[in-house]
Amino acid sequence: MSTTYTINVNGQNQTVTVNNPAMPLLWVLRDLLGLTGTKYGCGENLCRACTVLVNNVPRQSCTTTVESVVGDTIVTIEGLSPNSSHPAQLAWIQYQVPQCGYCQSGQLMSVAGQMLAGNHGPNIAAQLYNVCICGTYSRILQAVDTL
Amino acid sequence: MPKQSLPSSKSQQEDSRQIGRRDFLSVAGAGLTLGFFLELVPRVAEARMPGIAGPPPNTQVNTFLNISSAGFVTLTIGSSEMGQGSFSGLAQILAEDLMVNYNTIQTVQGVPATGAPAVGNSIGTFGSTVIRDNYWSFRTAGAAAREMLVSAAMNIIGDQTRANYTVSNGVITYTPTSTNISYGLVAAAAAKLPVPANPALIPDSQFQVIGTTVNRVDIPSKVNGSATFGIDVRLPNMVYAVIQHCPTFGGYLSGAVPATPAGMIAVVPTQVVAGVGRGTETTGMVNAVAVVGPNTWDTWQAALNLTINWTIPASSSNLNDQTFINQANAALTSNTPYAANGPNTPPTLYTIEGNFAAANAAIAGAAKTNSATYTLPYIAHNALEPMNCTVNYVPGVSCEVYVPTQVASSVLSLVNQLTGLPLSQINVHTTYLGGALGRKIEVDFVSQALQVAMAVGKPVQLLWPREQNFLRDQYRPMALVQASAGLGASGNILGWSYTNVSASILGQRGYPVGASGDSQATEGSSALPYKLGALSTQWISHPSPIPVGFWRSVGMSINTFAVESMIDELAALAGQDPYAYRLGLLTDPRWIAVLEAVATLSNYTAGPAPGHGLGMAITTYANSIVAQVVDVSLVSGNGYDGQPILFQVNNVWMALDCYLNVNPGQLQAQLVGGMVHGLNAALYGRQSFVNGAAQFSNFFQNRVIRLNQMPQVAVTLIPSPAQSTQSTPIGGAGEIGVPTLAPALANAYFKASGIRIRTLPFFPNAVMENVAGV
Repeated sequence: MSTTYTINVNGQNQTVTVNNPAMPLLWVLRDLLGLTGTKYGCGENLCRACTVLVNNVPRQSCTTTVESVVGDTIVTIEGLSPNSSHPAQLAWIQYQVPQCGYCQSGQLMSVAGQMLAGNHGPNIAAQLYNVCICGTYSRILQAVDTL
Repeated sequence: MPKQSLPSSKSQQEDSRQIGRRDFLSVAGAGLTLGFFLELVPRVAEARMPGIAGPPPNTQVNTFLNISSAGFVTLTIGSSEMGQGSFSGLAQILAEDLMVNYNTIQTVQGVPATGAPAVGNSIGTFGSTVIRDNYWSFRTAGAAAREMLVSAAMNIIGDQTRANYTVSNGVITYTPTSTNISYGLVAAAAAKLPVPANPALIPDSQFQVIGTTVNRVDIPSKVNGSATFGIDVRLPNMVYAVIQHCPTFGGYLSGAVPATPAGMIAVVPTQVVAGVGRGTETTGMVNAVAVVGPNTWDTWQAALNLTINWTIPASSSNLNDQTFINQANAALTSNTPYAANGPNTPPTLYTIEGNFAAANAAIAGAAKTNSATYTLPYIAHNALEPMNCTVNYVPGVSCEVYVPTQVASSVLSLVNQLTGLPLSQINVHTTYLGGALGRKIEVDFVSQALQVAMAVGKPVQLLWPREQNFLRDQYRPMALVQASAGLGASGNILGWSYTNVSASILGQRGYPVGASGDSQATEGSSALPYKLGALSTQWISHPSPIPVGFWRSVGMSINTFAVESMIDELAALAGQDPYAYRLGLLTDPRWIAVLEAVATLSNYTAGPAPGHGLGMAITTYANSIVAQVVDVSLVSGNGYDGQPILFQVNNVWMALDCYLNVNPGQLQAQLVGGMVHGLNAALYGRQSFVNGAAQFSNFFQNRVIRLNQMPQVAVTLIPSPAQSTQSTPIGGAGEIGVPTLAPALANAYFKASGIRIRTLPFFPNAVMENVAGV
């Protein structure tokens, strides 16, 4: 039994039809809307590679059902800025943070959410739980310290 | 900022011809194109990468430098970018002698080439090889292209006096008249000129690019979601496949293939393809099924809900953690020495160095002795991008494969093997790799994607959900190391006896393991730089058939833990500081310089802060030498997981000698990243087996550190020589940060607590915190 939802992603209303209303937002973004910047890492809200903003708050899209975000404002890495001009993105380039890069969309969305909550520098870092297997944490700290 | 694009077309290599290894080839086409090899020097000296499918016939040029008539410089690179920055490093090296602005070079992911004639070339990204093995060929290519362009300019000007021309930023200046000629203007004419055999290289003292920290070409796409990893490939009409392996190693599908669930497209049994299976995975055995459906989530749920009847052989019940330990202990005394024409079935004893009886006689006669057993577990790879592969197969016509692979040429061979298509009708597109760590050397997941694509007749993306990555890995082998030593009056080592028992990675790949044993198991245990007295180094093959594979730094991570822990134990036995003790055992000035550099960086001789401990370790790999000092402080109480916290890692200092520092910032990144990989493994890394079934399926039990556990880090680099020479090997940096962390940490914890940790990981029962509401 398919269900159709309208969700707001990066400022646009998108209509999606799913077979199961429990389908996580992650797979709606990646497979139905083609927004592949949001990454799958663990599926269990552990690694946070899938972090997006829901009403300006970082949320792990792998454990967020699509039906639970109807009416909310969703922002993905593709919508963070039009031209990689968000201060966190600029800091990530300045400090050459990414290695493989797979976790960095989630890192940046977590940081962006903390900034929206009014946090700066070490207060952002204290709330940053995203996993990076490459071990870019020290550069993340350098970059976050400027925000 | 240079641009990076994926994937590339194969067309530009189609009319290539080869003039010889290390030579360059001028290719017809727009502007000047030089085609050349990206060298692959295998980790194993005696053969090409063992276990990797042999290079396809006619594989040839895999890397191209093009200078277009519009003046654009494009570098098409055959190797893989998995975060190590090799694309940028190669462009940086090229820019120096080509004398162009690094930021104007566009790098493009290449494909494995199929031109004639065959020379046995391959493309692989492993063994910390990309920069160190290609440095001189990229410099020579840049210089050759530059001189061809200058020659073309000379012909226009009509003055053949080379001294009258200078080059800067891709512009040739005829100095008598100050006439400027851009590269683009003469690119087409240069393409008609012969390729110089020995073009002059820029002296190191005049370097403008090499040795500087330039920005990476791939980073802009990795901060805005536009970088295409394998899992991000989307093709028209693509369907999704999700793999479900038999949960038990050795098990296989019995009876009928499960019916296709409602809403799904197919259930495809996938078998172990020849050359791909390891250990328990026998060719022809159906050890997994793939459910095919309309999207990842629905298909994944259908795969989880599928009832599959597996047949589990009785032998799988022997695959248990304690059994492996028991087998290793038994093998120490009950084994068969290697025989040249013998079956050499595990456990087989290989003498790597020295003489066991003589070493142990020297130890027995020493005034002070120490004997220790070090135990390391199986560990899964944990690349954050899970295994995936996308295939668009049109029977008899074409096969396009999009895959995060470390060895595109193996993928090419496999497609040829399974589809029968000629190489000219196969395209392998290497995507960005979201971590690889050695696991993406393997092509088991590629073989499954191909089988599914051939069965369903649609473009298909096959995914291993996270759990499948942990449960069906080719793990770093578990190992048991027995080490003994005897000391003389001054603490000098009179005898050293070292025996490693571990499963053979090469043996599981059908590679003949000769008298010198499996190089992957023994690396880091022999040719040690210390004065060890009467010496014995042995390796005994372990009989476990659990699949094992190449895990970033491979055997180095096992042997360096045992060797550097043992040296530390001997320092304690001798009543000496471990730093002074190591200096007393070393003679090689390179090793001494690295050790002194890390001691200076860490202010080691000032001693630890109260309640802290400092530990060090040093090793060599890929022509590089690395030393680390770790600072820990003791912490009481339990963590959120109920496990004792024991200590906090406050600082890690590192010193590296890789002979020639191309990009200091990237060397720092690789060393720190390797150190974190080593830290994750030392603290938490292990896989457990019960009756052949792996137990730990997600990051919950395969814990890794988060930001709040990151130590402060500092790296110092031994300076490059004033003038490098081709006779001195350049060191690699991709893996060398890993092996020293575990022993340096254990040594630091011993200093702080008096407790010697000989079994890894430190926290076998740790679980990862699920931090809610942040």
